[in-house]
This record gives sequence, structure tokens and C-alpha cells, in this order.
Amino acid sequence: MASAIPTFTKIGKVIRLNKHGCTNRPFYHIVVQKTKDNFDGPVIEQVGSYDAMPNSQNEKLVAVNFERVQYWLAQGAGMSNPVAQLLGLSGFLPNHPQTLIQSWKNRREPPRERKLQPIKGIAPPLDNPKI
Amino acid sequence: MFARSSSRIFNVINISCIQSRSARAWVRKPLGSPMAKSKMFRIAPKKFIPADEKAEVKRLYDNYFHQMKSLRHYFFEQSLEQAESGEVAQMKHRLEEEEHIRLMEENRLENEKTAKLREEKLKIQAEKKRENILASLINKEEETRLYEIQIEAFLEKQKTTPFIQAENIEKAIEEALANPVDFNFAIDLDGYVYRGRETAIEKIPEEERERLRSN
Repeated sequence: MASAIPTFTKIGKVIRLNKHGCTNRPFYHIVVQKTKDNFDGPVIEQVGSYDAMPNSQNEKLVAVNFERVQYWLAQGAGMSNPVAQLLGLSGFLPNHPQTLIQSWKNRREPPRERKLQPIKGIAPPLDNPKI
Repeated sequence: MFARSSSRIFNVINISCIQSRSARAWVRKPLGSPMAKSKMFRIAPKKFIPADEKAEVKRLYDNYFHQMKSLRHYFFEQSLEQAESGEVAQMKHRLEEEEHIRLMEENRLENEKTAKLREEKLKIQAEKKRENILASLINKEEETRLYEIQIEAFLEKQKTTPFIQAENIEKAIEEALANPVDFNFAIDLDGYVYRGRETAIEKIPEEERERLRSN
């Protein structure tokens, strides 16, 4: 019965990545914002961060405040695809289909030429940096 | 409008709101301009996705959205439960209880005060009422006494008036026949009787003047 469960009306707020950092060094804040606002506009609450550049251990660090994310999802906030993927990888939400699709595409195609080289020394270099 | 480097205002594109000395950013090709030579016979490549892959993608997305919907509902219900039983709610509840008790106490004291005042007022009123009732009773007694006296006087008068009894009847008839009463007379405002044709009392001599008196 569709009438038994209430449908969520859009509240105009969304959880998404805001790009900060500088040239050739992106750094994302996971942020709750009104949909209309710009990336550099007013932010309701910062709910985590995502570092797109792998560190010396070849890890991309993600920080998420799961309690607040749950609160905002309960209020009816939307989510952008990257945020949904990150939360799926973390285990808080089910895996986003995009992660699975991307992974089988990566396995299928050969890697393309990249400007930035993976960091050599501690972790071994990868043939396919997409995996 | 937000300060963007290039904007679309009233369908005029590629205008910037902020003055800047660097190169103007390109939003899109103006709508009336012709197609470039390099793009005239270009056919955009369409991605071919096999049917089974499409089906798999659709299945994945359907499952994902289904799960996300149920999760959102679950989170919503959790938030409702938390709102009722969480710390903030408990503190609010406790504060409300205290407020309620305080107000009830205040109300009780106020009620007592007004009750006292009311009692005093009622006492005074009762006293007044008692006095009124007493006065009215006394009045009533006085009135009944006077009324009885009046009745007595009236009865006395009635008794003394000469009624014709069964024994006196023949005597009364003979008396009435012997003394006929003539009502053919006029009367003055002062009570003077005019039996003749005179209309002024001065014309009638003193000895013959009659006057009716109302007793």
C-alpha cells in the first residue's frame, strides 16, 4: 500500500562533496548544504572529508560523522553520487551500483595514460591505478 | 544572483556580473551562430551497451533504490523514537514536570487567598441578609396588626349600620312609603344641592341651603 508509508517531500538540502584545496591538489569536504547554494556558499553542516590524493601508505582517507549523516537522511536530505558511493564503501549504506559497474569496467579495459605518477617507494606501483 | 564568472541573464549569454580584466569565460556558443566547418559532418559516437549488461545495471539500480528507500524510512522512524526517548526529550519532560508542579502550587495558594476573602464577604452578606429578614418580619407583623385593627373597625361600622332584618321589614316598608326620596336635584362641586331652578348658591337663602358631605 503506497498510502501506508509516508513519502518524503524534498527538503531542498543535500549531502555532497565540496571541492577545496588548490591547483593539482583537490580536497573534498563532505557537507550538508541547500541545493541552490554554490560550493563556496553557506554550508549548513560539515559532516566529513575526503582526500582524493593517496597518501604515503597509498590510502585515500575519508572521514564521516555517521550520526549526523543518519540525522540528515532521516530529515529527508538528498545525496550526490560520490557521497553515496563513499558511504557504500564504508559499509554504512549498501554498495552503490556505480562502484560495481566501475570495477568491472576497470577490469575489462586497459589503463589509460596518466599525467600524475603513483607514489613510488613504500607501496608497489600498480599496473591499473583505477583498481 | 550569485556572483558567477559568466551568466545567462534574460537569454543573453556570456555576460559577466563582476568586472574582471582577465579573459572572459565561455559558457556556450551563441544560439544564432552557424555550425563550424569541422563539425558539419560529424556524427557523435553512440555507446553500445549489450542487453545483458543493461539488464544487470537496471537490476543493480532497482535493488539499490529499493534498499535506500527502506533505509530512509527506518532512519526516519529511529529519529522519531529518539525524539521521544532521547536525553533532550527526557530533560524537557523533567523541566515540564517541575514547571507544572510549581504552577499547581501557585494556583493552590491563590485559591486559598481568594477563598478567605470570599468567606469574609459571605459572612457580611449573611449578616445583612439576616437583619433584612428580621426587619421585614417585624414590618409584616406590624402590618398584619394594623390590618386586623382596620378589619375590626370596618366590621364594627358594618354592624352598627341599620340593616333591615326580617322583623323590621314591615316597619321599613311603611317608613319608605311615608318618606319618598326625590333625586331630582343637581349638585355643586362644593356639595351644595340645587333642587329648584336656582343656579347660584347665593340666591338661595341661608336657612334652605343643603349640603352633601362625603364622610
